[in-house]
Amino acid sequence: MSAATAAWLLGGALLIAGALAWAWLQRAREAETLFVETRRKLEQLQREFERFTPPDLVERLTAGCGDVAPQRRQVTMLFADLRGFTSMCDRLDPALTVAILNDYFRHMSGAIGRHHGHITELVGDGLLALFGALESNPWQCRDAVLAALDMRAALAAYNQQLAAKSLPQLQFGIGIHSGEVIVGVMGAGELNKFTVTGDPINVASRVEGLTRELEVDLLITEEIRKALDAGFRLRPMAPARVKGKPEPIQTYHVENNEGTRAT
Amino acid sequence: MAQLLDEIQWGEPLLAPDIDPAWEAELKRRGGNVSEVDRRIAPSPWIREACLGINTGRACAISAHLFNIAALVTAQENACRYCYGASRSYMQMLGYTESYIRRVEQDVHLAELDEKERAMVGFCRNLARSRPRPAAAEFDHLVGLGYTREAAREIALWIALGCFYNRITILIASPPELGFEGWVSAKRLKFLLLAPFMRYQAARRRRGKRDPALTAQALGAGIYGPVLAPLAGLPGAATMKAALEGAFASTVLSRATKALMFAIVARSLDCRTSETEARRLLAADGSSDAEIEKSLASLESARVPAAEARLLPWVRDTVHFQTAQIQGRTRELAAMMGNAAALEAIGVASLANATVRLAMLVE
Repeated sequence: MSAATAAWLLGGALLIAGALAWAWLQRAREAETLFVETRRKLEQLQREFERFTPPDLVERLTAGCGDVAPQRRQVTMLFADLRGFTSMCDRLDPALTVAILNDYFRHMSGAIGRHHGHITELVGDGLLALFGALESNPWQCRDAVLAALDMRAALAAYNQQLAAKSLPQLQFGIGIHSGEVIVGVMGAGELNKFTVTGDPINVASRVEGLTRELEVDLLITEEIRKALDAGFRLRPMAPARVKGKPEPIQTYHVENNEGTRAT
Repeated sequence: MAQLLDEIQWGEPLLAPDIDPAWEAELKRRGGNVSEVDRRIAPSPWIREACLGINTGRACAISAHLFNIAALVTAQENACRYCYGASRSYMQMLGYTESYIRRVEQDVHLAELDEKERAMVGFCRNLARSRPRPAAAEFDHLVGLGYTREAAREIALWIALGCFYNRITILIASPPELGFEGWVSAKRLKFLLLAPFMRYQAARRRRGKRDPALTAQALGAGIYGPVLAPLAGLPGAATMKAALEGAFASTVLSRATKALMFAIVARSLDCRTSETEARRLLAADGSSDAEIEKSLASLESARVPAAEARLLPWVRDTVHFQTAQIQGRTRELAAMMGNAAALEAIGVASLANATVRLAMLVE
């Protein structure tokens, strides 16, 4: 083989190697672009998902953690319901009604989030918030009551804004109870959600219902009272019968929290 | 999904730089650089010593490569803009490509890591995040993959120390080292070419430093001894021990406040070992069991001076947080307590978080 042929062969081989390297680099760049774009989409999806489900839960689901499997946990449940809102809906423009409701939920969600809780359900003008459902929270009862007091303050502030616009003011009732429930992702087919099930949730709902009957805005059960310190000023209410319970249940109206230093 | 560098919201610095020429000279003499963090923590002797120990510390049982990756993912998990940016730039300086770093921080399974390394990174993320803390089985898994027990303990120690440093910089909202980051970024090609030399230099620098490796008896004898004892023989253990002793010897905050802060962080993460130690400290100062229990349930205590009362609910929020929110809350705290007390509280909260993560080694 002459030197010229060898040079041609070497040149050809180098050319092919160069072309292959270039093609490989192109593929690597494409893969990198695809990877970045996929991550961007995943992040966008995660952010959208967080509008419907607690961010901590989204984090666990996207990380592939197995700890969202159903389990029994001690959870504190807070039910809140607007009073007279349905009749208000009939009088107001639908767009205005929705705007008021959304603002109300935004204020309540802020108060709940500040105290380590998260809203798991919105039904009409009612909401269910959970404390200690996603991870162990030794202060869940205290957190729930502090959140309720914060919600009361937030509602008062929001009512001032509504009054300034000559709009009707809102009133709510809150019931809080704690107990062992089953937590997990529940549902069927296309509709699944992270929620809780068990008798304590029915009790929390009934206690919220009692706020109308007893004409107070915030009631807690004996289980919650036991977990609170002396800084919370509580007023015992007359034991009341609720659906599904053979015995009347004792509730307390939470007036405020002065802190133990003040007592 | 852990945040990327430019996704982390970061507030204005909580503390102004406090120039202390004598300390800065000492820092340089002992092999440290004078960073934005050092200038802000200078007023607290034990915090500045602990941070210097971390910055100049070395690992003996794990490779520099794993050490660098652990520092990066721990800072990323803690959403510490300062440490994450600095770790990233340091890795670029050592010749790691942007693509490699991005793959580690975005999804470890795509990085060019083997199973052993991936397990270590997963352990770093889980321990830093602690939702919940990794169980003993995860530690045993590392050992099963071929890490020695000493190496696995050293990984846990450096994650804990990383969590301490990350929280210090987050809570004081130290300005990121943008000058360093920009300088490394501008010379990236040069650093790629110089990678072997840079790595050799870094290794030589670490080899030159000889921390005292304490025995289990020495570590177990002092404060939080049961948590420190498994770190026998590891160079970084001395930094952790000195930090714990310095924090509790300091008189800026009351001893009851500090012990309760430790107990609250321990209870948040259901850490019995750490809570027991904090209870022991409180009992030694005269608190009864019932009193301690009441304080832990209410996050209030008559033994805590009124000016420090807000630290008890605040410290709970340093366990898991959104960076911008905890920086805002810490700013409110500093406005009420003053900078000296706030810096001390930041140090104690950071150390309590590090200790409770480290305690997984004995649970």
